[in-house]
Amino acid sequence: MVLDLDACIESLFQRQLLAESVIKEICEKTKELLMSESNVVHIKAPVTVVGDIHGQFYDLLEIFKIGGYCPDTNYLFLGDYVDRGLYSVETISILTCLKLRYPDRVQLVRGNHESRAVTSTYGFYTECMKKYGTSDVWHYFTDLFDYLTLSVVIDNMIFCVHGGLSPSIHTIDQIKVIDRFKEIPHEGPMADLVWSDPDPGREEFAVSPRGAGYTFGSMVVEKFLHENRMDHILRAHQLCMEGFQVLFDDQLSTVWSAPNYCYRCGNLASILEIGVEGERHFNVFEAAPENERPTPAEAQRTLFSNGVPMGLFNNGGASNGAGVGGGSGPNGAMTFAGGASGSNGGIDPAQDTIHYFL
Amino acid sequence: MSTSDRVLQNNHLRHREGLTTVSHDWTMVKAGSLVEKQTLVTIDADATVEDACEVLLKNGITSAPVYDSVKNMFVGMFDYGDLMTYLLLLLKKMDVPLEDQTMEMRDLIQRTSRSQNVPVKLASDLSGKDPFCTVLEETRLGSVVHDFGTGIHRVAVMDTKGNMKGILSQSSTLDYLMRHLSEYPQLQPVMQKSLQQCGLSNGRVLSVNGDEKVLDALISMSTNSVSSLAVLDEQGVLLGNISMTDIKHIMKNLRTSWLWITCFQLVCKIRLSQGVESGEDQYPVLDVNAKSTFGYTLSKLQATKAHRMWVVNDSGCAVGVVSLTDVFRVLSRLIDNDD
Repeated sequence: MVLDLDACIESLFQRQLLAESVIKEICEKTKELLMSESNVVHIKAPVTVVGDIHGQFYDLLEIFKIGGYCPDTNYLFLGDYVDRGLYSVETISILTCLKLRYPDRVQLVRGNHESRAVTSTYGFYTECMKKYGTSDVWHYFTDLFDYLTLSVVIDNMIFCVHGGLSPSIHTIDQIKVIDRFKEIPHEGPMADLVWSDPDPGREEFAVSPRGAGYTFGSMVVEKFLHENRMDHILRAHQLCMEGFQVLFDDQLSTVWSAPNYCYRCGNLASILEIGVEGERHFNVFEAAPENERPTPAEAQRTLFSNGVPMGLFNNGGASNGAGVGGGSGPNGAMTFAGGASGSNGGIDPAQDTIHYFL
Repeated sequence: MSTSDRVLQNNHLRHREGLTTVSHDWTMVKAGSLVEKQTLVTIDADATVEDACEVLLKNGITSAPVYDSVKNMFVGMFDYGDLMTYLLLLLKKMDVPLEDQTMEMRDLIQRTSRSQNVPVKLASDLSGKDPFCTVLEETRLGSVVHDFGTGIHRVAVMDTKGNMKGILSQSSTLDYLMRHLSEYPQLQPVMQKSLQQCGLSNGRVLSVNGDEKVLDALISMSTNSVSSLAVLDEQGVLLGNISMTDIKHIMKNLRTSWLWITCFQLVCKIRLSQGVESGEDQYPVLDVNAKSTFGYTLSKLQATKAHRMWVVNDSGCAVGVVSLTDVFRVLSRLIDNDD
């Protein structure tokens, strides 16, 4: 198959799904690319760092509007591309295409949601089943997730990871020897890097209330930065009402990029712009304007009544109806991304989402 | 020593520095001291079951003592287990027609309790699992731990005049012990033991398939007299957990329709809403393995506020469970061995 990445990207910007066979091809090619990446990828500023997106596709478009489009802007994404939001498939599809198209301008780090166990519970699996009728696309992407790098270092000064630090890891070299090409384990250094959280009230490590990873305190942060001769830790993983949070005397920042999380939290989001001299600026933004985003009910109509456009995407198109296809993964799983009723400009995502996923 | 044990030990050493090392015997701590600053929430014995639920929900608690103002005494405890048993009894008696399956839970209770006229004093302790147990302020922790090890989830702490000072639960006792671990060196040896060595690494796992209905799971829990079930897929891989306290989520949403969704769907819904409320998603399953230490298991129970950890093997299949009752059984064995 000859892949026209630019056409794929263009269609995805219009929120049109790619055909299953196209996704398979893109995932295969991206895995080849990622295979040669180290567990610690070194890059140089300037770069714009993005935190959790969680399938909020319209807010990703907002990020490109604010931060600039690829390849004009270098991007570092810190994980959690899928689950919870209504457009996880579109989000991960476009990011994968951008990585394949501009491999040196786009870095994708693995988050705790880039995992089979988590995506089975938090929405991505269900969304794949609904939009494609079988679990194949979920398999392609979750296999791809096994290849995503675990961390990035900017200018040898800023350590970037999705979650946080691990009691088993004191140096960058220790991260490099991890075998990352597998499902995220329940415990151990790889799990810790994607699940841990800072705790400003502590100095050391403690077992995390999340049930995986640890919480870590000021002394742990100082020691890690000193040992590895760096001056900042940059991570995502935790909701920030202001869009970002700076801790430990500016030694650690959290960047969160999903505004009005789950369409009900009312939080701000941000992207972190790192300039050539290493200067850091949090660019804060709100949720994309309502009138540019279809309601979940409209979204469903667009996908299933029009079907998938002809031409590039006519092989292996989406099947309609409530197909509970074969393949492994939980059967009949249903997720309610909206939760309790919200009050955002008349949209009640909870109610609509229930019907959307039925 | 594993990484997690080093983490535990570092925390204890940190607490120790600067303190005068007076060795306390943890079994001698008085029950009263653990409930000193508690605000007591009680339910009136003549309140309706519906109102009793409201009290639990509003205060974010799973149980409350029931006070009879005529008899001038406490007559029992009301918890979600009792509520569930009550509802199941009614649902079994009634043939709930399809349209009623979507009505508000409150209405269901209202309808049935009005027609049945059941005040909460009759509904309390219905499940039979958690009889109302009292201890005195002076009662030593060693004896309370014995009770906890037999399956009693909480005790009411009374003063000599018969006034209730507070409720001491398995969870709050565990929390206390973990916070003060450095003061009780006698507990160190058992903390280092693996679950296998403690005899906790395998056992009967009561489970439900992810496709089964929530109502059936609740009936199964009631019949088997347990407060939770492992939710498994066809291969026996652990997907999550369903417990009596999950009924609070059903109550919060006030939809009886949630009784008729599958267990896996309920697990997903609960995880999704918890993650948004706290801004942090939890790991889908709360588990440990046979090689995990007793101390690490306790830390995880304390940190996640769970009432049990499932023990899984390398394939992720549930092979055992460590409940708070199991924890206290191990601790009370320690006391017996010392005597």
